[in-house]
Amino acid sequence: MSVTADVEQFIISELSQGRDITTIDPGDNLLAKGIVDSHGVMELVAFLEERYGISVRDEDLTPENFESVARIDEFVARKQDGRG
Amino acid sequence: MLTDLLYENASARADEVAIVYRDERVTHADLLERTERLAAGLAAQGVGRGDAVALLLPNDPSFVASYFAISGLGAVVVPVNPAFKQDELDFYFRQCEVRAVISDERTAGVCERIVSGWERPAQVITTSSAHGQALTLDALMEAEPQKLEPRSPDEPLVYQFSSGSTGRPKRVARTHAQCTGEASYYATMGLGPEDKIFCAIPLFHTYGMGCCMFAAAGTGATLVVLEDPNPFLLRRQRAIELLEQEQATIFPGVPFNFRLMAEAPASADLSSIRLAFSAGTALPRPFFDAFLDKFGVPVRQLYGCTEAGTLTANMDADPVASFESVGRPVDGVEVRIEDDDGEPVPTGSIGEVAVRSPGLTDGYVDMPELNSQVFREGFFITGDLGQIDAEGRLTITGRKKLLIEVGGYKVDPIEVEDVVGAHPKVGEAVVVGVPGKVAGEEVVKAVVVPSDAVDERELITFCQERLANFKVPQVVEFREEIPKSPLGKILRKYLI
Repeated sequence: MSVTADVEQFIISELSQGRDITTIDPGDNLLAKGIVDSHGVMELVAFLEERYGISVRDEDLTPENFESVARIDEFVARKQDGRG
Repeated sequence: MLTDLLYENASARADEVAIVYRDERVTHADLLERTERLAAGLAAQGVGRGDAVALLLPNDPSFVASYFAISGLGAVVVPVNPAFKQDELDFYFRQCEVRAVISDERTAGVCERIVSGWERPAQVITTSSAHGQALTLDALMEAEPQKLEPRSPDEPLVYQFSSGSTGRPKRVARTHAQCTGEASYYATMGLGPEDKIFCAIPLFHTYGMGCCMFAAAGTGATLVVLEDPNPFLLRRQRAIELLEQEQATIFPGVPFNFRLMAEAPASADLSSIRLAFSAGTALPRPFFDAFLDKFGVPVRQLYGCTEAGTLTANMDADPVASFESVGRPVDGVEVRIEDDDGEPVPTGSIGEVAVRSPGLTDGYVDMPELNSQVFREGFFITGDLGQIDAEGRLTITGRKKLLIEVGGYKVDPIEVEDVVGAHPKVGEAVVVGVPGKVAGEEVVKAVVVPSDAVDERELITFCQERLANFKVPQVVEFREEIPKSPLGKILRKYLI
């Protein structure tokens, strides 16, 4: 499964319960839609670290890295390439 | 009354900035015009005196204009957390019999669903027509401005909900006189038109409503609004930049804000802040020290409640020495410490905190029995425990009521127990707060006696569908029975 599909599934099943969200477009702004709150960010970080073996540092915690599934996909790719 | 403050500001400082939001600079004259237009638009839709109007907007100029427009018509504002789920919103809307709902595109769909089945459906007014709604705020604001008539002091202005130990939240009505009474405190705390209040806490909450919106209206100060403050973990750098860029002078926050900002990788010059307040829950010393070390700003504790708004604030010349204290009562507020019989305790002794205030509600709506217990001789018995020192400073030492503190929110365990207990495979459930990973923060834990095979994931999902995320148990522990005293009282201490 691709990172995009994997993260989408995680967000739908774990973070967006009760919000009538069955699909997420990779470009959807997760923050503006209120899908990911502070607790959700920590859950997402834990998921990414465990699933992809990356380390998310304090300075990585920015809207630019987490505002959409597409951005998260790019962030994971950078981390895995050792560029982040 | 409260809306009179808008007219006073528009008259005294028409071209000065009332609200900073993204690239917008809303002057006091602009704010009044938006409010008057919206009031006229709402009136044309039939909203009038005594009608409850739910407000589910993020912190932005529309929230402020809507709040004043609704209250200026004599209707009652019902500010609601937009993070609430359908069942919760349904409860609030029905409790208040809302006549209209103002929401953004995130919640418009769920609001439509809630009210569509009603015999007399409420109108849903949205910030955009993304969901095909006919009524938008912009359309309503095309109305000609309507001067707002003075309101009677005793008319209800706002309905809010207070957590407690009696199940679902209780409705608190506060009148024009009570809200205006609170708005008058802030000038006596030294705030004035030259101040810039940084608004990163939700305006739908009593704390943001009072310390940001009422404070700005009452003093003519500028509100500097942090756009999309959630998740604050991702917005802290923006918060720091905005504080520095706008040279904010007043910063009301919760411990969570101060900790995350202190831990942010980058720093900034925040020396413009002359008063930083923390409320909502006790400020742990490590957070105070970290923020002071990083930014050179001591955070002062402030104390208030949904029933009365702001009550006390630490305004000491040396707030480092008295950091644990929430300070002395603000102008017009009385605080006393009572024993279990309701008698005042000696100075320095711990007891239950009772307050009397110009901002205090007359009582919970339709709860006469409870009101007779917690409102006595003009005082509200808060359920918090505290002590007053020889200098008159209050320190909160604990709480008598069973509330769980999660990221600045108070979670009523009984409300969560009601939801967990409604699962068909749960025989009995008790919800408690257990220490989280960070000092001073708690995590919601459900202790469950199952009546059939069920796993943790299933119960958490069940709660996620019915409760705002901050109320959802993060831990579920299964037991064969709940420990109880011989009289049947749940022994919560054995569940933590």
